[in-house]
Amino acid sequence: MMIKCVIWDLDNTMLSGVYLESVPEPPPPDPAMVAAAAELAGRGIIHAIASRNPPEAAQYAEKATGLDFAAIECGWDRKSDAVRRIVADLCVAPDAVAFVDDDLYERAEVSFRVPEALVLSPEDMADAVGWPEFSPPVVTAEARRRGEMYAERRLRQEEARAFGGSRDEFLRYCGTEVSIGVAAPADVPRLHELSMRTHQFNSAGRSLTEAELSALTSSATHRVAAVRLRDRFGDDGLVGGCVIEAAGDGWTVPLLMMSCRATGRGVIEALLAWLARSAAEAGAVTLSVPCLAGPRNVPLRLALAGSGFRAAEGGTPDEPVVTFSRALDGPLPELPDWASAA
Amino acid sequence: MAGGGVTDIVAELREILAEATGRTELAGVGEQVPLFGAGVGLDSLTGTLLLREVHRRFGVDVAGEDLNLDALATLGTLAAFIAEHTA
Repeated sequence: MMIKCVIWDLDNTMLSGVYLESVPEPPPPDPAMVAAAAELAGRGIIHAIASRNPPEAAQYAEKATGLDFAAIECGWDRKSDAVRRIVADLCVAPDAVAFVDDDLYERAEVSFRVPEALVLSPEDMADAVGWPEFSPPVVTAEARRRGEMYAERRLRQEEARAFGGSRDEFLRYCGTEVSIGVAAPADVPRLHELSMRTHQFNSAGRSLTEAELSALTSSATHRVAAVRLRDRFGDDGLVGGCVIEAAGDGWTVPLLMMSCRATGRGVIEALLAWLARSAAEAGAVTLSVPCLAGPRNVPLRLALAGSGFRAAEGGTPDEPVVTFSRALDGPLPELPDWASAA
Repeated sequence: MAGGGVTDIVAELREILAEATGRTELAGVGEQVPLFGAGVGLDSLTGTLLLREVHRRFGVDVAGEDLNLDALATLGTLAAFIAEHTA
């Protein structure tokens, strides 16, 4: 399993000392740990903090290390609870997480309560940089900027909490821009990466190789769409896409996917509205999305239900692939004003 | 479960909804206002939070039992679904 996120303890791990006991100056960062974390960030692996300290310790660590942290949990409850909250917040799977702590008790507690996580001492971590779990085969431009994008996400969320209005008002206030267009050959590596990394928003529950995606982009019977997202907090780049198969009077979408970093930002409904409008324009009368419906992609089913899709007759939770479809002869969903077709 | 049960569930769902969306005005939303679309504007993020909290508090896995998520039409339909599955 590839590690997507490393959760760091601060005292005697990311910092070379104990924050609250170091006077008058807080302890400097541990150079070996900072170097390891920076190397991993360059490979698209994100970082988080779980520390028994006041929040100022994390602010200090962020500044002193120059690293981007996607999530910060400072407090005095169990480390395993902090790990669980980070996993939920960043929507990574627990087995895609590594936890680094110098304290044997904390490592044992996290190992016991989050058995899926890879638990490491700082010494292990220095070595683990060379392990296959930390070496993704493809590192796209989006991946290299991932740490920064997650740090931007944290700022956006802080503002959203203070913002009074509805989600749509917040999206407009942020200057959200979703652009949907035909995928170019240069988009293929990132689309492949998305097909491997997405779960909550992956209709097929499977990935496509770069060769398969390349073939689809030049196929006469298929189209591949790429979705980009940015706002005034930052540019998230290519966050989603889909494969479209036009046959007879129907459009079928064998794969629909979106990065869960883009959740709550009006991307999936924009893509579904764009699909319905494009299909209708091309003369199709139905739009279908076959889904491997499971507990992991409930967010996608929510989006489909919210956009007027219905599961085919006979679909039951026991039947793995269920086709969700909608007719295109009635009123079509409007493309949200933050979205544009490129 | 009796009718009073559904009313209690609706009251609790309003709280959950206001919490999940961060919009306190939804604590007063009508039982028959559509959750998807203009009224409440439930999306995949807030919908996931709502379903997770329903599962935690009532022990009902709506997404696991209702493929089309028809239960999420309104707070009234969701409360009825929960009442039926906890009876």
